[in-house]
Order: sequence, then structure tokens, then C-alpha cells
Amino acid sequence: MKHLLITLMLLGIALPISAQRGLHINEVFEGNVIQKAGMHKTLIKGESLEPYKLTVLHTAKFTAGSLLRDKVEALFSKDMGEHPSDKDNIELEYRDGHLYYAVVQIDDTRGGLHRYICYQCRSNAATNNITLAYMEGKATLADLRKTFKRK
Amino acid sequence: MNKVREENIRELLVRYLDGVSTQEELRGLGEYFGNTANLPADLISYAQMFALLDEKPKTPTAEALDRFSSPPPRKRWSIFLLPLSAAACIAAFVCILLMSPEREENTAVAYIDGKMVDDQQTAMQMGLEALQEIFSNGSQEEQQLSELFNEQ
Repeated sequence: MKHLLITLMLLGIALPISAQRGLHINEVFEGNVIQKAGMHKTLIKGESLEPYKLTVLHTAKFTAGSLLRDKVEALFSKDMGEHPSDKDNIELEYRDGHLYYAVVQIDDTRGGLHRYICYQCRSNAATNNITLAYMEGKATLADLRKTFKRK
Repeated sequence: MNKVREENIRELLVRYLDGVSTQEELRGLGEYFGNTANLPADLISYAQMFALLDEKPKTPTAEALDRFSSPPPRKRWSIFLLPLSAAACIAAFVCILLMSPEREENTAVAYIDGKMVDDQQTAMQMGLEALQEIFSNGSQEEQQLSELFNEQ
């Protein structure tokens, strides 16, 4: 029994180390909040992201009702709170009491790579078009803004 | 064996305290202090000391000795538990290190309505478009124009 407890303790230390698994929004990417059938998702890793100074890009786009919008917003906000970063590296915009746009640099990986979580919710009368992204890489927030902002 | 007499007891005690007593002298001192009823006052403390030295230490029982000599038998499964636990921990650490983002292998997949599209170009296009949408979001006018066209 003592050995079993030691094993569980070691595994408990080891497992949370792995990257995106520690984030609440991973529930969305894994399809536990929104059904996969209603989602457009991408997962890109490796060399193809080198021109953007990124190593991981995970995006999800979907349409949600107000309840699901609230749930996704809550998960995103939890991640913002639990993985704090420099206040200068956060862009937030709220509209009608809801998160509308967010680009947040969270704590770095243990390898020193920057991590970002992004959220956008464009609302019409009844639906909310949500885009969610997770990024990892050497790119700074200024780099990302310069690269991806439409002219 | 020469009987220890009161006259030379002090001399023997000095030899005892100097650590040069023979076994015979030690026995003589023990007998003297064990058998003499009326000791001079200055020798009573020595009599107490020799009484303590004469006490035999208690010997442990056979049952207690057995308990120490043979530990309780280990359960068969517990013999394998330690190496298995160590192996599981090592495997977990290796898996995590291999899956860490710093060692990411090249992957580019897209999922459209739950269906996997294993095409790097499509995945890249969708991913970058999503980022462009997010990072271009700042302008409120764009949103208002979009809503205006949607209404028409």
C-alpha cells in the first residue's frame, strides 16, 4: 500500500507538467463542451509554423447559444485567472457584459516558450460565433499582432 | 583465595579505581561488600556500586528473539509492486517528455464538423484565418459593417 501511494504521488507530480492539458479551455478543444460535429478545429505543430515563430497552434470555431457561450467564457476566464502573466500582455474587450475579444499571454512553458490563449465572440441576435485559439512559441505579442492583424 | 580484610579494602579500592585490579581482587571486593553487615560509613557508597554491578541483566524471552530474527512473511504480490511502481513512473516521465511541445513532431490536421481532413494546406489556412479573425477584431467599425450587411 505504501508503494502504491508513492507511485500515485509521483504520477500526480508528473502528469500536470504536460502543456495544454492544464488549461480549462482544453475541454472545448476536446469536444467535451461543444459537439465536435458543430466545430471547425485545427491542430498544427512543428516546422510549418516556424515562419510565425510558433510551435503549436490549436484553433476552434463554432456557433453557440447563450448558455454555451457563457460556459466557454467561464472556462477562458478561469484560465486567465489561474495562469497569470504580465498585465501588459493582455488585451481584453467586453461588450454587453460579456467577453468579446481577448488575447492573453499566460505563463511560459517549462522550456521558456510563450503561451497564448485567444477568444473572440461575434454575436448576432440569437447566436454567438466563437473563435478560440491556443498558441505556443517564441513569438511575442507584438510579433503576433504584426503578423496576423489584417491591414 | 585470600579473604579481603577491612585493613586492605581501601588499598584494593584504590587499585580497582585505577583499573589495575586482578580478577581475584575483584571477586574479593564483591564478596566483602556482599557479606559484610556493618560497613564503615565511607564505604557504603562503594557497597551500593558493587551491588549494582552484581545484578544480572534481564535476558529476552525466546519469543521476543524469534520476532527479531524472522521478519513477517511478505505477501507475494508486494514483491512485484516496487519494481512495477518504479517502471510505471519511469514510463510516465518518458511519455511526458516525448510529448512535450519542445519536441513536437510535424502535425497539421483540420476537423470540419467532426470529420478529420488530413491536409496540411487546409489546416494551415483554417488555423491562420482563425488567428487573423481574432487579431483583426479590435476595430468596432468592421463588426458594425458586417452586421449592417448581414441585415440587408
